[in-house]
Amino acid sequence: MNIQLCNKQLSPLQRRTMALFGANLGLTAVFSLATRDLFQQAHPSTLLVYLAAILPTIPVAGVVVVVSRYLTRETDDFIRMLVVQSLLWGLGITFVVDTYLGGLFANPQIFRLIPILNIDLFCVSVGVAVRIQLWRNR
Amino acid sequence: MKNRLRILRAERDWSQADLADRLQVSRQSVNAIETGRFDPSLPLAFKLAKLFATPIEQIFTDEE
Repeated sequence: MNIQLCNKQLSPLQRRTMALFGANLGLTAVFSLATRDLFQQAHPSTLLVYLAAILPTIPVAGVVVVVSRYLTRETDDFIRMLVVQSLLWGLGITFVVDTYLGGLFANPQIFRLIPILNIDLFCVSVGVAVRIQLWRNR
Repeated sequence: MKNRLRILRAERDWSQADLADRLQVSRQSVNAIETGRFDPSLPLAFKLAKLFATPIEQIFTDEE
């Protein structure tokens, strides 16, 4: 049995986690776009706005569940440590970028080019951090 | 913490991947333990001791 976090030799647990991680990420994007369209086109009541805004948070909670299940079940301590470190890097990068963009967009002269979701930023940051960690420990 | 993992592995002519397979961990784990960048958990240390038929204290020494 060869447990590695590279593309060719993922364990079944890692493969399943990656699939669920990607699915939740995709659902977040779909739900976010659907919610935005709903708000722009249907002009729902205030109550429906509050309820619909919950929709994109469901896959975000799913990501948390998927990651926590993975960390509980990963038997390789070193790989688990790398993943935890990568998650911390992802959190750090997300907080820094979110704070920066929050400050930037407080200025009305700044045009919002693309809506960046924190969860997307977090997932990409974690993915890059995992790659860097594996490269450093190759 | 220092360890004799590389020596023990070389004595048996095992690659890092061979040892990783036997321990059911990643090759990166074996590499990190050998180079002293990662101290294994107690279960993994016992697994190593069992695999090399050597007491844990003869594999790992508390030296910087």
